[in-house]
Amino acid sequence: MATFELYRRSTIGMCLTETLDEMVSSGTLSPELAIQVLVQFDKSMTDALENQVKSKVNIKGHLHTYRFCDNVWTFILTDAQFKNDETTEQVGKVKIVACDSKLLSQ
Amino acid sequence: MASSNVSTVYISVIDDVISKVREDFITYGVGDAVLNELQALWEMKMLHCGAISGNIDRTKAAAASAGGTAGTTPPVHDLNVPYEATSEEYATPTADMLFPPTPLQTPIQTPLPGTDAGMYNIPTAPSDYAPSPISDVRNGITINGSDPKTGRPSPYMPPPSPWMNQRPLGVDVNVAYVESREDPERSVQPQQLTQDFLMMSSGKRKRDEYPGQLPSGSFVPQQDGSADKIVEFVVSKENEHQLRSFVINKQETSTKTVNPVIPQCDGIQDDYNDQFLFPGVPTEDYNTPGESAEYRAPTPAVGTPKPRNDAGDDDDEPPLNEDDDDDDELDDLEQGEDEPNTQHLVLAQFDKVTRTKNRWKCTLKDGIMHLNGRDVLFNKATGEFDF
Repeated sequence: MATFELYRRSTIGMCLTETLDEMVSSGTLSPELAIQVLVQFDKSMTDALENQVKSKVNIKGHLHTYRFCDNVWTFILTDAQFKNDETTEQVGKVKIVACDSKLLSQ
Repeated sequence: MASSNVSTVYISVIDDVISKVREDFITYGVGDAVLNELQALWEMKMLHCGAISGNIDRTKAAAASAGGTAGTTPPVHDLNVPYEATSEEYATPTADMLFPPTPLQTPIQTPLPGTDAGMYNIPTAPSDYAPSPISDVRNGITINGSDPKTGRPSPYMPPPSPWMNQRPLGVDVNVAYVESREDPERSVQPQQLTQDFLMMSSGKRKRDEYPGQLPSGSFVPQQDGSADKIVEFVVSKENEHQLRSFVINKQETSTKTVNPVIPQCDGIQDDYNDQFLFPGVPTEDYNTPGESAEYRAPTPAVGTPKPRNDAGDDDDEPPLNEDDDDDDELDDLEQGEDEPNTQHLVLAQFDKVTRTKNRWKCTLKDGIMHLNGRDVLFNKATGEFDF
């Protein structure tokens, strides 16, 4: 199963990465094993998002920058509004990084 | 609602990961204790981030699964560290390869326009005058309000009194002269040696003022490069007056380009300047502040009080450059805000991205959003942006 390392940059991914890093540098964990954990995280996170999350979001904003490189879209929005069923979040500047979903199904 | 939901998802992910790597840990010969430590650390960090709430059923599950070894798990250190830092280190091997440019560079690139402008403007300014005001301002060091005007390089090390009479900085400058001499001699006579040198160069710049402000033997570096006159010189106390009168004579004959109004701030003969003041020049600003004040707070004085002959160019320039600095700083600030934890980020997969003229539409799925310090997950998202 293909996975994205994309989600490692999320909060949960960062926390895991940080943890692994500490454990590797302290010698508790081997780097190989740490990589294994990260790979597993990629899978688990993707699974969870696919299967456990049902919410929808609408995004509006001014597109400040766009980039499509290596099948990754990057958008930088200014004055963006994120609306879902429950709340609306307003942010002055946000970056959206999106991988091609088709790559996963291959 | 959302947050609890997110928390639940996160916890399930943690559980999932932990349970699925257990085999790997075993095959690597690593005990459960390590795995539990990993989980504990991870959850702890998540709690610190506020990504998960501590009082979730998950807690029980964790306790159930890891409870036995929980005791052995070493208490986690305080982890308020922004996760960006670690991400770099760790991501280096893997994540970086996937998204090298996107994460870090994007924010940096955006500011470039501003930066460019700043860089562009600097050269535009007259080479003579622009640099010194800038450097003065940046260093927070301004000796004289008139400095920028004369295009004089910002003085070296303002602190006046400490080494006033002691080791003259000028020694370095005059190494060539002193070199041949032995140390003892040098210590005794350095001032005289430099004096001659000074006399020669002193004529041009009203430097006479400096002797008062700068410690004897101090030198003023040449910073802006072009068209600047070299102003390095050393003056001993004894010769201060001599030098001064010498320069004064020159000043009287000198052209308007030279700014006679250089504040005398050393407390010695402060009135001295008055003779040379042009009518209408706000001299009080310069003279009133004591030595230290001159050095520290003069920035404003530099830019403002300049209605003089050649001041026209200078007046225009310094403010411009200062503005540029401000702009840059603002840009940096904006940038800076994005970098830290407050960075708003959406990580997702895209199904489709289309554009019609300046109207962009995209459909995303399976996303993690970090907005305003909170994580929000979505299964689908539609975006409409105008470029």
